[in-house]
Amino acid sequence: MMINNGLDTALAAIVILAICLLGSSRLGLIIKLFALQSLVVSAIPFLLGGDLGIHKIIIAAGTFLLKVVFIPSMLFWAVRHVSIRRDTPSLLGVSLSLLLAGFLVGLSFFLAAQFPLVKITFSDLLIPSAFSTLFIGFLLLISRNKAITQVVGYLVMENGIVLFGFLLLETTPLVVELGIFLDIFVGVFIMGIFINHIQNEFDHTDISQLTALKG
Amino acid sequence: MIFMVMGLPLAAGGLVFILPRNGQRNGVLFWTALSHLLLVASFWIYPPHSALNGFFALDSFGIIILSIVSVLFFAVSLYVPAYLGNEEGRSNHVFTGCLLFLLFAMTVIALSRHLGLFWVAVEFTTLMSAPLINFHRRPQGLEATWKYLMIGSVGIALALLGTFFLAISAIQIKSLVLDEVLGQASLLSTPWLKLGVIFLAVGYGTKMGLVPMHSWKPDAYGEAPGPVGALLAGGLTNCAFLAFLRIYQICHAAGQTEFLRPILLTLGMLSIALAALSMLGQVDFNRLLAYSSIEHMGILILGLGLGGLGLYGSLFHSVNNAFSKGLIFLISGTLYQKYQSKRINHIHGVVRVFPWTGGLLIVALLAVTGIPPFGTFFSEWMILSAALTGRHYGIAFFYLVFLSVVFIALVEVFLRMARGVPPAALVERSAKDSWGTTIPPLLLAGLALLLGIYMPPFLDQALKQSSVLLGV
Repeated sequence: MMINNGLDTALAAIVILAICLLGSSRLGLIIKLFALQSLVVSAIPFLLGGDLGIHKIIIAAGTFLLKVVFIPSMLFWAVRHVSIRRDTPSLLGVSLSLLLAGFLVGLSFFLAAQFPLVKITFSDLLIPSAFSTLFIGFLLLISRNKAITQVVGYLVMENGIVLFGFLLLETTPLVVELGIFLDIFVGVFIMGIFINHIQNEFDHTDISQLTALKG
Repeated sequence: MIFMVMGLPLAAGGLVFILPRNGQRNGVLFWTALSHLLLVASFWIYPPHSALNGFFALDSFGIIILSIVSVLFFAVSLYVPAYLGNEEGRSNHVFTGCLLFLLFAMTVIALSRHLGLFWVAVEFTTLMSAPLINFHRRPQGLEATWKYLMIGSVGIALALLGTFFLAISAIQIKSLVLDEVLGQASLLSTPWLKLGVIFLAVGYGTKMGLVPMHSWKPDAYGEAPGPVGALLAGGLTNCAFLAFLRIYQICHAAGQTEFLRPILLTLGMLSIALAALSMLGQVDFNRLLAYSSIEHMGILILGLGLGGLGLYGSLFHSVNNAFSKGLIFLISGTLYQKYQSKRINHIHGVVRVFPWTGGLLIVALLAVTGIPPFGTFFSEWMILSAALTGRHYGIAFFYLVFLSVVFIALVEVFLRMARGVPPAALVERSAKDSWGTTIPPLLLAGLALLLGIYMPPFLDQALKQSSVLLGV
């Protein structure tokens, strides 16, 4: 059993914030919760222990700039532009989605136990919380109607994947990490543009009402 | 040379955003495509050295995929000026810019030897193709693009997760450069490798449009302009297929092909079956072609899963399919502009008004459905005989059944469109074929036919080397 108090607290906070996201429907709150979660994620490289190399600092700074500063301000701009405040609550209802989230967290611990690491380096909680964040992000993505919440769901998934990436800080070349940042940056930028187009064309951003294409 | 072939489209893509006139941008598009094609052709004679610590190199898979992409892009660059010329008064800087960036990303995919870098380039293609799909700015186009962006991004995020799992599996190798992973494959941790393979198959399968991750494809291809459809169905899907080839290579080196094969066979059969059934009674021409693309992706994956002769057949089919899909999507673009509709009911009498386009439509029908002497016939035949020699009689049976269903569905639709009386409006305008939209598909039709009657020795050799890489 590996115990690392700072890291464990941070990982628990990431999962709890993901669950809070599932329960909220005000778009402003959703974006703030996501920014807070990303802030905790960007702190993880410092909590892992070991040498504080230039690589870790770049990853942390990149995550901070991209997911705490740039993306939330972009999303806030989009919310103001399309002038909506609330997402309709989850298609599943709040209580059912929270129940599902609990089930997914349990599943994550089960999955993590099935796949032992060759060398356990950090906390035992890292892999289960990465799985949980990923699953809950996916649940958020598929259970909501508004384009902006769907983007946040995708980004929460991405946060879960980033946690897996932290296992590999030693081996991933910097150019690949920077490429991943670039893709997320361009991706959210393009999604923002399309939210804008959808708003101008349909006067709403409710994806569940876009059903012209069938068959 | 490797940096030149990647840098050229990147620089040209930046350049078109500065140039003030449409004509100049079309010029940049054409000259970039031509120089890219010549550079890639030179790689067949003088193989380039690897670059950046082995992150970029060209193996026999890479050169096949790169050549397909380059030839298709050349045809599209010839076609685009005439196509855009018919769209009155639109500035083409986003369109040509995104096309060039897409060429850049596809070139990086074909050349990259690092699986992380490979992923970055694949994600970049999704982002650059989204604005292209929405070119006509129809409301349905927005719906299609949003689906494409979200499903594509989530799928590709799962592929990143799979890449990370593979890296965790390779934690003792401390690298994801393909040559190092293949060289020390016995050090891979098996449970993490299997988990990684599943996520990679789901992720890149989404990109390729395999059932059940295909739901974006009919929408996106349905709304995409013809030349974009040609690049997506002919080029981009092959880039995703390259991902499957890499996964197969790694599984082969780690002695896990028996784990991978059932996954590939299932995905392949499901795609062929569902695509064939969805084609019956389809009313939209482009959506019909999208399902045809899903069917052919299924054939590729099936051939890979069968192994043996199937590997050669599958690689050969990826070349044939690229040219025949490029051909038919360019024709669909022309028809959309002439008839202002994609509904099959609205398009009739093509042969009478547009003899060249109509003739090419019939040629495309033969190429897409795999009628001899087109190359598609021979590659589909090889995959069938791989199923028979491997004693997969059930697969062989259903493969033939669904291919016949596809044949019936396509023949009925294509002949209905080609024959009959043209709409009065077109006859009154005395509309005619234009050379700009006829020559590029003619070029691709020629290639599709050529591969059926004459196999160039250099291609044969590259295909054989590739199947050796996959362990035949």
